[in-house]
Order: sequence, then structure tokens, then C-alpha cells
Amino acid sequence: MNQNTMKQKLNSFYLLACLVAPLVTVGCSSSGPPEFRLDMVKMVSEETPTAQEYQQEIADVLGALFGTPDEPFALPETGLNAIQLQMAAGSAWSDEKGYNHGLYRKHCVHCHGITGDGRGPTARFLNPYPRDYRPGVYKFKSTYNADRPTDEDLHRVLVNGVPGTAMPSFSLLPSSEVESLVEYVKYLSIRGQMETALTNFVFDELGEEEAEDEDGEPLLDGDGEPVLRRIPFNPAEDAEQQEVVADLLAEIVEGWDAASEKIILPEEDQIPAEERSDEEIAASVDKGRELFYGTRANCIKCHGPTALGDGQQDDFDNWSKAHKKFLSDVAESHKGEPTEDSQEFAASRDEVAAMIYPLRNAIPRNLRQGIYRGGRRRLDIFWRISAGIPGTPMPATGSAAPGGKGTISEAEIWNIVDYVLSLPYESPSRPLKALPANTEGIVN
Amino acid sequence: MSIPKLTTQSVQATAKFCAAWAIVAMLFSAANAADWGTLKGRFVVEGDLGEAAAVNANKDPEFCGKHNLMDEAIIVGEEGALANVFVYLYLKSSKTVEIHPDLEKVDTEPVLLDNKGCRFEPHALVLRVGQSLEISNSDPVAHNTNLTPTKNPGFNQIIPNDSPLAKTFEKRESYPSPAACNIHPWMKAYVLIRDNPYMTVTAADGSFEIANLPAGKHEFIFWHESKGNMKNMTFSGGKTSRKGRAKLTIPAGDTLDLGDIKVSPSVLGK
Ligand code: HEC
Ligand code: HEC
Repeated sequence: MNQNTMKQKLNSFYLLACLVAPLVTVGCSSSGPPEFRLDMVKMVSEETPTAQEYQQEIADVLGALFGTPDEPFALPETGLNAIQLQMAAGSAWSDEKGYNHGLYRKHCVHCHGITGDGRGPTARFLNPYPRDYRPGVYKFKSTYNADRPTDEDLHRVLVNGVPGTAMPSFSLLPSSEVESLVEYVKYLSIRGQMETALTNFVFDELGEEEAEDEDGEPLLDGDGEPVLRRIPFNPAEDAEQQEVVADLLAEIVEGWDAASEKIILPEEDQIPAEERSDEEIAASVDKGRELFYGTRANCIKCHGPTALGDGQQDDFDNWSKAHKKFLSDVAESHKGEPTEDSQEFAASRDEVAAMIYPLRNAIPRNLRQGIYRGGRRRLDIFWRISAGIPGTPMPATGSAAPGGKGTISEAEIWNIVDYVLSLPYESPSRPLKALPANTEGIVN
Repeated sequence: MSIPKLTTQSVQATAKFCAAWAIVAMLFSAANAADWGTLKGRFVVEGDLGEAAAVNANKDPEFCGKHNLMDEAIIVGEEGALANVFVYLYLKSSKTVEIHPDLEKVDTEPVLLDNKGCRFEPHALVLRVGQSLEISNSDPVAHNTNLTPTKNPGFNQIIPNDSPLAKTFEKRESYPSPAACNIHPWMKAYVLIRDNPYMTVTAADGSFEIANLPAGKHEFIFWHESKGNMKNMTFSGGKTSRKGRAKLTIPAGDTLDLGDIKVSPSVLGK
């Protein structure tokens, strides 16, 4: 406990020191060193419309907390390794010892973008789009659905790539470089999550306030209207805001720190034996098929009756859903009468809407191709089916948290793993069992 | 750090001290008995919103198709009564509120969210931190429930018929969190998770009531799923801000009745 309080004190000391340090202005200039960009969809959205003064203040605070793409900075409480960040950041060059710097800009930026928003120059032409790291959500990982990935998870993705997508394998890079890149991906995620948290805070708790006199009575102007006062977002000079910023950062970092405790570890006695007879495997595949088409696991609904991925095809992933909502709000706002709010943001909304890449549906995987984006080991497929694929429609069937209970048992998940792995070899024309017949009985 | 040993003496002293405090506390709560009040009102849409659209139930049509599903984003009853408006106490993240003794204990009964007839029942609900949300599936077709809160971890889980999914949450959310079913994309519900009991959803007749609020000035949020914060909405004696909030004074031992709160279609994005 003693140690903890020490640590907390230390942390807020660092936080204060960095918040009062001279701030870098983060504007938009076309020349000069690359800069992190704010998420403009969020800034001008109907949920959190953020006035330009606040946008600048948020950028300033983020600049103080995280530095710039050339000079990344991480507070000790983030647990991020500053040396690794330095290796990954900046422009690409090699020092006299032969160490490579600027790894992110050399290998990743043309797809994932300077800010990690998944909007590099190449991104528009890719399907699926490169990952936007900013929400901190990753698809192919060992942890429960809602949890962050572990370092090993990100490391595995970098080494293997994501087969069947544009995401290449970086297995030829030395392990130390991959580790620096993993650190940098986490850094961009934490920065992005922090941006969202700060923007929510500014909208929820700052803004214009009716000024009050000493007695708590509203101040009125000459026309009897309340006098409005803008509350600046300046944690360096406001102890309460500083505490909020520290808390928000701590919460985000905690999520990343906890990942290693959130790994889905299959129960030993449920894992099928290495050496199984053909009959045993066939029996397990049969059970898996039953579940796949049955009403409990119901994979058929999305992956389709032939598992070609042709079931539910008109849904979107969470990244696209945010853009879809924004676009439809903008389209609607052109219909109604303009309000105070819509007038302030109308021009920038149109501008931001025009920059959004075409929306693409989240298509369930064609399971007959035998290409597994998150890895082809049995354990990989087990994790996908148990935890679902975060950020996408694919739901979890296993427990949602350590010690919890899944909607189907682990033994059943392993049966489905066997079935999924057999699918590329099963003839699609094999007659399917009739759909579950209990639809008739229950009627409202 | 060493923990000081408790001597018998110090225990006795503490006991006396506590007893004294208990009496003081009792006096206080007795004096405060009337310092609680109620907020009520009713939301009424003024103007024509047109008919709600029918849902094209093209997933599991053989079952979902026979329920005459309608778009539930805006539910207007008789005389324009607007259901599913969330009304709740606004608090800055660093603030908490005094809770009436009767409401202190979080209900041990779970709040139910059923997948029934290819829709969520209920469509809008409130849940306290620590209270269990029990999600069940009464349909013969599969549903998954995909809840995406902001502060709490979300989940996306297949819901089988035989065992409901129980969930509790630890953090206060600022706004209602959407729940969806990815198999039946028209299915939506909203869950508001707060760490105090001062929240409600308007009933089918558009009315709401929040009782046992600490008397005094508070800020309340009015939120509806179609456009979120209900901005610039006037009611007798006030108006909501650009953020859909209003400062209201809860009278001690009495009720603040906002009467009929007129909702123009533009507040709902129509
Ligand atoms: C040619 C484009 C391209 C390049 C270059 C590229 N990526 Fe990716 N990356 C992608 C795409 C596309 C995806 C999304 C795959 C998906 O959603 O299935 C992705 C996904 C990812 C993911 C998310 C995996 C998950 O589990 O969700 C990480 C992490 C990642 N990339 C890191 C990197 C890093 C680090 C580099 C540079 C060393 C890099 N990428 C280079 C295209 C690229
Ligand atoms: C609500 C729709 C939905 C349901 C139900 C669903 N899936 Fe998926 N599934 C998807 C989508 C969408 C993807 C593609 C996600 C991505 O990579 O972006 C996917 C991907 C997959 C993958 C590919 C993993 C990889 O590494 O490439 C497997 C395997 C899979 N699903 C198996 C299943 C099984 C088994 C079930 C039943 C237990 C199931 N799915 C139920 C939507 C669904």
C-alpha cells in the first residue's frame, strides 16, 4: 500500500510536469514534420460536437502526454518503453551501429497512417481496411472479447501477418524490431483511446456554463439573459481536471496491463488428445456439425447453410458503424431546419463526411477456403469461437470473463473446431440436416 | 508499514466514539427526513411524425416474419405520449450524490432483457452498478447480444434458450449503451448503467417519476435514442441546454412536476 501511494504521488508529479511543459501546437500544416491528427468524425459528430478552441486544447493535452510522431513521449504510468518507441518512431534511418530507426514509418505507415487511424495513402484500396488502432480493439488475440490483446498476440500478428488480407508478415524483421513496433502500436492505441476519453470529458463536463455570482445566483446580462462563460480545458492550471486526466489515463493503461491475466486458457481435460483415432475425430466432427447448424451455436446464421460465408452479409464492423452513423446523421441534417448546433458544425461535417472511405460490409468468413486470418492452429480457432472476433459481428460462445460460463461447453467448442477444420475438405453438396424443427412450437 | 495492534482499551474507545457518532447521525437523518423530493413529468410529441416503418424481417423470416415487427426507434402512444425517454441525474465524473436510505441497497433481483419475438423486451432499461442484467432468449431462433458501453467492458455473446447470460457492471456510464443482435440487425435496445438510483425511462403513456431525490438544485439529462441529447426543448419553467440538460430545483418533501413536456419533431430528428 505504501508503495502504491508513493507510486501515485510520483505519477501525478510526472503528469503535472508534463502538462505544464511548453505545449506544442498541433494544427494542420501541410509542410513540416508529420503530426498526429484528431479524429474529426468524433470532433464534429452529433454526440460530441467539439468547438475548435476545445479541439486545440485537446490536441495540446495529447501533445503534452504523448509527444509527436517524431518525438514520441510516454509517461512512466503508461508502462511503455521509451527506447522502443524511439526506435519505431520518426523517419527511417540506420545509426552507425546498424540499428534501424523509424520502423513504423518504413513498414506500416502507408497502410495504418501516422496517427494509427488505418488511413494511410494505400488504405482506401484495401478490403478489409487496415486496422484503426485508436479504439484499442483487436481481432486476433488470446484474451476475452472485451479485453485488450497481450504483447504476444500483437507480436504473433506481426510475424504471421493476417493471411487473406493486405496485412503482410514481418517475420523477416529481427525480433527486437518487432517488439519495438508492438510497443508503438500500443502507444498509438493508448493515445487514441485517450483522445476519445478526453473528448467525451470535454463534451460532458466542460463547455459553456451559466455564470453565477458569489451566492450561486445566475448572472444576467442587460436583456435578462444568463451570462455564459466558456470553461477552458487546461489541466495544467486546474487541479480537478488534472486528476480527471490522470484517472482516465490510468483506466486505459489498466486495461492493457490486465491483458496478460485475461488470456483464455482452455481447460486441460477438455482439450482433445494429440493422438486420436479416425473414428474419434469423425465423431467429434459430427458433433461439431450438429452444433454449427443447431440453434445453440448457430454459426449457420452468418456463415450460411453451406459455410461459404453467405448468411448475414449486410452488417458492418464497429469501425464502419461509427462512420455509417455519422454519414446518416449528416444526410439527415440537410433535411431538417438548421439549429444552432448544426450551423456551427455544418461546413466541417460535410467536409469530414466527404473524406470517409466507402463503407464495406463485414462479410462472415468463407470457411471452405481454409484461410484463417487469426492463425490456423487449433488453439487459434478455439480462441476465435470462444471469444468471438471483437469489433465484428462474430459473437462469443465461450465465457466472457475469467471464471464465467460460456453459452456452450469447452468440449463443444473443440467439436466445432474439429468441424471448422474439416470444412475445406467436406463436399459442400453433402446433404444438410434439416433445419431445427422446433420453430413451430413456440409462437406468440 | 506496520498495523497498530488493537488493545482492548482502544477498541472500547472506538466503540464509544462510534456510538456517539451513531446518535449524531440519527439526529441528522431525522432532521433530514423531509429533505427529499420527487421529479415527474410527461413527454408529449407535438406534430406529426408519420407512421413507424415496418421492419423487413428478412432474417429467419419463417419465425421473425410473423410478428409484424415495427421500427421501435420512436414509440408514440395516444395523444403523442413519447415512451423510452431516459431521464436521469447528471453528475460530473468526480461527483457522487447522496442516496436516500431506502434506495441505498442495490436490488438483488436481476433486471431482465429478453430476446422475444425477434425484438428486445424491454426496449429501454436502467441498471445500477452491481445489479445483475439477465439476458435470455425465449425464441426458437438464435440471437446474439452485442452490448457496447463506453466505460465498462462490452460483450457480444450468443444467447442460448436454456441458460440466460448474467452480467454486472462496475462503472457509471454517461449515456445509455446500445445493445444489438447481429443476426437480426433491426433488433436494438438501450441500457443505462449508473451508480445511483436517480434514473428512469418514460412509460408507454410518456410519463416518468424519480422519487427520493435529495432536495436542491440538480442537473438532469433528457436523452432519446433517435437524436441522443434532447436539445433546446422547452417546458414550463425552463428549457434544456444545447447538451440536452436542465437545471432543476427539487423541493424538499414535495414534487416538482414539469407537466407536459412538448417535444417538437426536430428534437427527434424528424
Ligand atoms: C499493405 C498494408 C499493410 C501494411 C504495410 C501493414 N498492415 Fe497491418 N493491417 C493491414 C490490414 C488490411 C489489416 C486488417 C486485417 C483484418 O482486419 O483482418 C491490418 C491489421 C493489423 C493489426 C491488427 C490485427 C488484429 O488482431 O486486429 C495490427 C496490430 C497491425 N496490422 C500492425 C501492423 C504493423 C505494426 C505494421 C508495420 C510493421 C503493419 N501492420 C503493416 C494492412 C497493413
Ligand atoms: C453474427 C454473425 C456471425 C455468427 C453468428 C458467427 N460468425 Fe463467424 N464470423 C463472422 C464474421 C463477420 C467473420 C469475419 C470477421 C473478420 O475477420 O472481420 C467471422 C469469422 C469467422 C472465422 C474466421 C476466423 C479466422 O481466423 O479467419 C471462423 C473460424 C468463424 N467465424 C467461425 C464461426 C463459428 C464456428 C460460429 C458459430 C459458433 C460463428 N463463426 C458464428 C460472423 C459470424
